Amino acid sequence: MLRAYVVAFLIFLYAPIALLPVFAFNSGTVIAFPLDGFTLDWFAALRTNSELHSALLNSLTVAGTTSVLSVLLGLMAARANIRYTFPGKAAAMGLVMIPLVLPEIIVATSLLVVVVQFFGWSLSLVTVVAAHVLICTPFAIAILNASFQSLDPALEEAAIDLGETRSSTFRLVTLPLIMPGIIAALLICFTISLDEFIIAFFLTGSDTTLPVYIWSLLRFPNQLPVIMALGTILVIVSILILTLAEWNRRRGIARMGGKDSGGFL
Amino acid sequence: MQQETKRGLGLIAPPFFYAVLLMAGPLLAIVVFSFWTQDYLTVDRTPTIANYVEAFGDPIYRAIMGRTLWISGLVTLITVLLAFPVAYFVSFHVDPSRKSLWLFLITIPFWTSYLLRIFLWKVILGYNGVLNSILSYINVPLEAVGNATGILWMQEGLSAPLYSASAVVLTLSHAFAPFAILPIFVALEKIDRSLLEAARDLGETAVTAFIRVTLPLAAPGIVAALLIVFIPTVGDYVTPAQVGGPGGLMIANMIQTQFLGLNNAPMGATLAVIAMLIVTVIALATVWLARRLSGVR
Amino acid sequence: MNLIELRGIQKYYGDYHALRGIDLDIAEGEFFSLLGPSGCGKTTLLRVVAGFEDVSSGSVMISNKDMTGVSPNKRPTNMVFQSYAIFPHLSVAQNVAFGLRKRSDLNAQARMTLVEDALDMVGLDGYGARAANALSGGQRQRVALARALVLRPKVLLLDEPLSALDKKMREQMQVELIRLQRQVGITFILVTHDQEEALVMSDRIAVMFDGEVAQIAEAEDLYRKPVSRRVAEFIGTMNFLPATVAGEKVEVAGLGHMELSDTQSMATTDGDTMAGFRPETATLLFPGQKTEGRIASGTVSEVVYYGDMTYYDVTLDGCERPVRISMRNVFGRPVLDIGAPARLAWSPGAVTLFARA
Repeated sequence: MLRAYVVAFLIFLYAPIALLPVFAFNSGTVIAFPLDGFTLDWFAALRTNSELHSALLNSLTVAGTTSVLSVLLGLMAARANIRYTFPGKAAAMGLVMIPLVLPEIIVATSLLVVVVQFFGWSLSLVTVVAAHVLICTPFAIAILNASFQSLDPALEEAAIDLGETRSSTFRLVTLPLIMPGIIAALLICFTISLDEFIIAFFLTGSDTTLPVYIWSLLRFPNQLPVIMALGTILVIVSILILTLAEWNRRRGIARMGGKDSGGFL
Repeated sequence: MQQETKRGLGLIAPPFFYAVLLMAGPLLAIVVFSFWTQDYLTVDRTPTIANYVEAFGDPIYRAIMGRTLWISGLVTLITVLLAFPVAYFVSFHVDPSRKSLWLFLITIPFWTSYLLRIFLWKVILGYNGVLNSILSYINVPLEAVGNATGILWMQEGLSAPLYSASAVVLTLSHAFAPFAILPIFVALEKIDRSLLEAARDLGETAVTAFIRVTLPLAAPGIVAALLIVFIPTVGDYVTPAQVGGPGGLMIANMIQTQFLGLNNAPMGATLAVIAMLIVTVIALATVWLARRLSGVR
Repeated sequence: MNLIELRGIQKYYGDYHALRGIDLDIAEGEFFSLLGPSGCGKTTLLRVVAGFEDVSSGSVMISNKDMTGVSPNKRPTNMVFQSYAIFPHLSVAQNVAFGLRKRSDLNAQARMTLVEDALDMVGLDGYGARAANALSGGQRQRVALARALVLRPKVLLLDEPLSALDKKMREQMQVELIRLQRQVGITFILVTHDQEEALVMSDRIAVMFDGEVAQIAEAEDLYRKPVSRRVAEFIGTMNFLPATVAGEKVEVAGLGHMELSDTQSMATTDGDTMAGFRPETATLLFPGQKTEGRIASGTVSEVVYYGDMTYYDVTLDGCERPVRISMRNVFGRPVLDIGAPARLAWSPGAVTLFARA
């Protein structure tokens, strides 16, 4: 009975996503059953939409920059957290992790107030990246904490004992061993930033990101099939990225000779 | 020792100051801002509590705040109730080597296109939607399903099913389900299986062992799940905007309207501060209550 | 000549006084052990020598060079870590060659030869291409040894190197470590909490308690002439009986009178002391058996049969707590029952007097 419930739950979980490709290939312009016929027109329409292309490019730029910056900050915080003791550590770590439990609308509005009302700066993709780094860093820290945690401190000491300096030890031992964690963190941060809507909605200037662009399309019923086609592609890409991240994480665990405790977080 | 401390401080400094600059600072700013007022495009910097008076006095704001809490609370309860059996199944009934695959399957929908997932519920539930078109295809009116199951929005007919608080509750419960499963799963995984065997050995049945051993030990995970669902749902904007209609709007929608629609940013800031305070108070109360309840240990 | 000289080493962690003034000299080519219970500071002391911990005060000299401020990568020491710290992303050969990276005087061929020789030395010839993860505990231990020894350090530091191995493997590695140390002639400093391991392997042993060195001695002296009751209890088993010293006379409860000069005395004053003797230095006489030595009488209160040995607890007349006697189970000798009267043959030369702690 429990198994039946779980299967039903998974169907519930996947139902909306499963509908995406159904309507993306449906030739009818109304999103309803029964289906009309098969078409690739909606995908073809994506290829010629220049607004979409620039939004996509913006999103990729934002997500790429965000993931690199978040992982750099995450590396520092996770390393400090696992390897060092210093006064105020718990408080500092707590503060850095707060965005994880802060409603995104609060992050969005508070930054909007500072940027526009206090400084009078103009909004741009830079403000979006700044906010995305803030919310992605805790995720990077969570993943990298686990990486540093499973790294035997004696490995670094052994490298130093064998004649390496601190920096060459980091390059030769630490970095290769936490690389799977770094890659997983990069991919997760990339996915979060690529998918994030509300902060981008508040903080973007004239350049829109992909979710903001999709949001603007949702008001037009005749655009819906195209959105379905776009959504299908996005979901496939997201699943590919996540699979890559998960595969990487497992490889990392296997390499460290540890046992899998499951899950990204 | 001294050197190690310096290294640790040096490492934590960049992420710490980033969070101070982009989170703590702006949060302080929004609090300051909420005591100002705005008339069209000019901001009056004289400190006043007028916004707070209005926020708590105006029936529209009170209604929205009440609805936000009601919807978020309901979503939290439903999500955690739905999630617990799944977490339990994966922890206790799935082969250990396949657990991470299951978790992966459960988390995938959470990471994929939030906006489109919400929108697809609109497609499913809406007038001319998937649910309705399937039902009319097999000649069962939605009202009949509603009467049979007792679901109110279905009974009320097709004219309004989508634009209601129920649709918001359903959609949000779906969106945050994976988030609730993970902490419960982690708590269940930590339970030493021999404790359950010991309970059975001491005369408990499977059911009483679950109630007297598993549930109390899973409590920290359940509390974490409650918070991890409640906090973001309070601030959710997309779902009420998409499927809520006028009867399902929440505080985030009102904040957005104040900032980007009505040009009354200080009022938006006030509502944001109130939302933040409510979330903090409820989160702390939950943690405190959980500590009290598990205080037997 | 002393290779390592430690003078007045003090180490504080905040308020915690981990090392309380350690003075040690270790000779070149010596197999030296730091022995003590967990938390006694032995690992901290080893890490002080390696350079991983700086001292609060005192000095570390290696080959007459002051090591203060010299980082671990510049010291002529190499370490075998408790967890072995084998780099999991490198092969066995790459692990062994790790420390040779900075040796610009070696070409690839020479490096390979050194690695192969080192692997050969620890009995892992032909394992070079294996992934480090595919190794057993004993093999990891050998890789860790080869990796350190290939650099020909002046001192090899071993931090509980055998604690992760099972009993059989541990005994085998003990013998191999002794052989290896004789072969390379490098000074070994071993940290261990296992007194048997220290006794078997070391030239000299420093017993540590609470951040202080209690005794430094060769294995046999440590066992036969422990300086304090605490050392005696930590190294092997010893029976303790209350004793009183008056001038040249000693009265031990249950055993009787003896001359002070016949015993080993670590006590410095007259009056109440503790007398101790090892379980194997006394013999239980069986009915009809005769002896030249002195006899104490009592009752058998517990018998534990070990196959090759039998351990008896004997309550001597006039004593409350029983003493333990270990007897080899020679063929034809009966095992006594609980409650049987016992006659104990002992000699004053095996009795050590300690200050009553």
